[in-house]
Amino acid sequence: MTPLAAEKGKTLSSGFFALLVFVPVMAFAGLVSGREIGRIYALPWALFAAGTAFGIAYTGRVSFFRRLFFGVSALAFLVHFKFSLFSDTFEASCFTAAPFCHIAIAPSFLNYLYQQYLAFMSGGWKLWGPLTLGAAWLFITLAIGRAWCSWACFYGGIDDALCARPGKPLLKTARFSAFRDLPAALLVFMLLASLAYMLPVYCLWLCPFKLSGVFMDGDAAVRRLQYGLMAFALAALVAGPLLTKKRVFCSYLCPFAAWQAFWGRLNPFRVTLAADKCAGCLACVSSCPMSAIKCLPGGKAEILAYCNMCGQCLDACPGGGFAYTVFGHELPERLSPFGRLFSVKFFFVFSALTLGAVFSSLWAPAALHDLVKILGGTGL
Amino acid sequence: MPALFSEGFLLGLSTGFYCLSSCLPLLAPYLMAEGKTAWKFNFFIFLQFTGGRFAAYMLFALLASLAGKAGQYTLPAWLLPACLLACGLGMVVFAAFRVSSRALCLLNRDFNPFFKRLPLALGFITGINICPPFAAGFLRLLGLADILKGFAYFGGFFAATTLFIAPMLLGTPWIGRRANEIGRLTLLIAGIWYAGLGAAGLLRL
Repeated sequence: MTPLAAEKGKTLSSGFFALLVFVPVMAFAGLVSGREIGRIYALPWALFAAGTAFGIAYTGRVSFFRRLFFGVSALAFLVHFKFSLFSDTFEASCFTAAPFCHIAIAPSFLNYLYQQYLAFMSGGWKLWGPLTLGAAWLFITLAIGRAWCSWACFYGGIDDALCARPGKPLLKTARFSAFRDLPAALLVFMLLASLAYMLPVYCLWLCPFKLSGVFMDGDAAVRRLQYGLMAFALAALVAGPLLTKKRVFCSYLCPFAAWQAFWGRLNPFRVTLAADKCAGCLACVSSCPMSAIKCLPGGKAEILAYCNMCGQCLDACPGGGFAYTVFGHELPERLSPFGRLFSVKFFFVFSALTLGAVFSSLWAPAALHDLVKILGGTGL
Repeated sequence: MPALFSEGFLLGLSTGFYCLSSCLPLLAPYLMAEGKTAWKFNFFIFLQFTGGRFAAYMLFALLASLAGKAGQYTLPAWLLPACLLACGLGMVVFAAFRVSSRALCLLNRDFNPFFKRLPLALGFITGINICPPFAAGFLRLLGLADILKGFAYFGGFFAATTLFIAPMLLGTPWIGRRANEIGRLTLLIAGIWYAGLGAAGLLRL
């Protein structure tokens, strides 16, 4: 095959892959947007997701394009839901209510079992009972497992985008390695404490995202402590990545990350390291934003259960030792332009990107609608 | 006497979930931190914890009966927060000595001998943690004002509530080294939480 024909084949197959992502995203986003704000707002979002897919398929670089998509999704979420907290003029629609917070599900799970308790509900999401949410969570876990935290979580996108900003870390996180299991410990504690007090302990004490004082304790001293912990969590979310180049909140504080690390084993996708290709350079350790790669005594790297398949190590490893696999197994390699799409890598990217884009259809087109309103002078 | 034992048993049976929710944050992190794959070892921890609870219940049965006899219907207000503070600090110190990192571990020596009776103390603290069903039982004993009857009543209450806690042991044979590490960090967090609650309670007096 001539280089020109190879290039053409690569472009065509990448376009085909982008189309595969575009169709479901446009269908779902169009359906949701069509009800409230107009189907036209779904188109840019579906095109953006398709563009991300094209970039990944054409260049082979997963994490660069994923991070771009993930960051924009998180920004859209912030624009639409969090800024709306400061405005009373939002129209009454399902878009004005933040979707049920998945982070709250994990530490309040025992409460769910006991009394079908919903931690924080708002707007039309009250209609989403625990069983519906449980089914949605199970589907997501089976489809992408731990990859939720790097492809779809609207909070993780903030941490992830910020940790790409600094050139070099000012603080090394290696000294905190003894606390890498802290999210799991927080999860266990919050599961038990939430059950004991019948309160959403995480939401009340640690959540940096609520940006509101309405959930605070009536006692002034307790309220000050709650604000202090909230500020600490917010610093971990914003300043942490800028100082360390790591997703500090997601790695050390988020109970849902631990929850998904545990249940994510149900999903067959894995990031696997070929031991014979590892030179022990540890480029992967420093590149992993989740601090999920550990150096073993022999100098070789080990992937921890906290890996959420962002693909950063795939791009960083000079020996190409990392790969997306299904329970450690790859599909036979095909070299033809379209045949290369039949690899675990593209099956995984398709699942994670499509699910992330479909999920963010709940707010990304609406954020665009908000911006159009602001630019058009109608304001919020 | 059997009638009073049954009465206490039924109270425990109908309200056992509340007891479970107040015992879990204390016992579960400890079991996770110190549990082993050997079921016998975990059962011994559970026995100590249960022993501590039993001792606390019997002590309360005695105090309630004596108070009832003397017509005194109050307990010192500082008792519960002080116990919570002591328990929380105990958990923090224990966890701080056991978190496995040379840089962070306060001492590399194994302090286990000093903490061998920690489950007993945790059980005792849990036992004196006054939850609504416990308060209902306590009021009944004030009215009875009889030590032996009090023992029978709280004995029944203890037996029934233990039935709710015992299933926790079923998950322990899967506890590995990683779970121990997570358990120790959980113990540290729970300890800080209980110490904070105790200190806040004392400050409010």
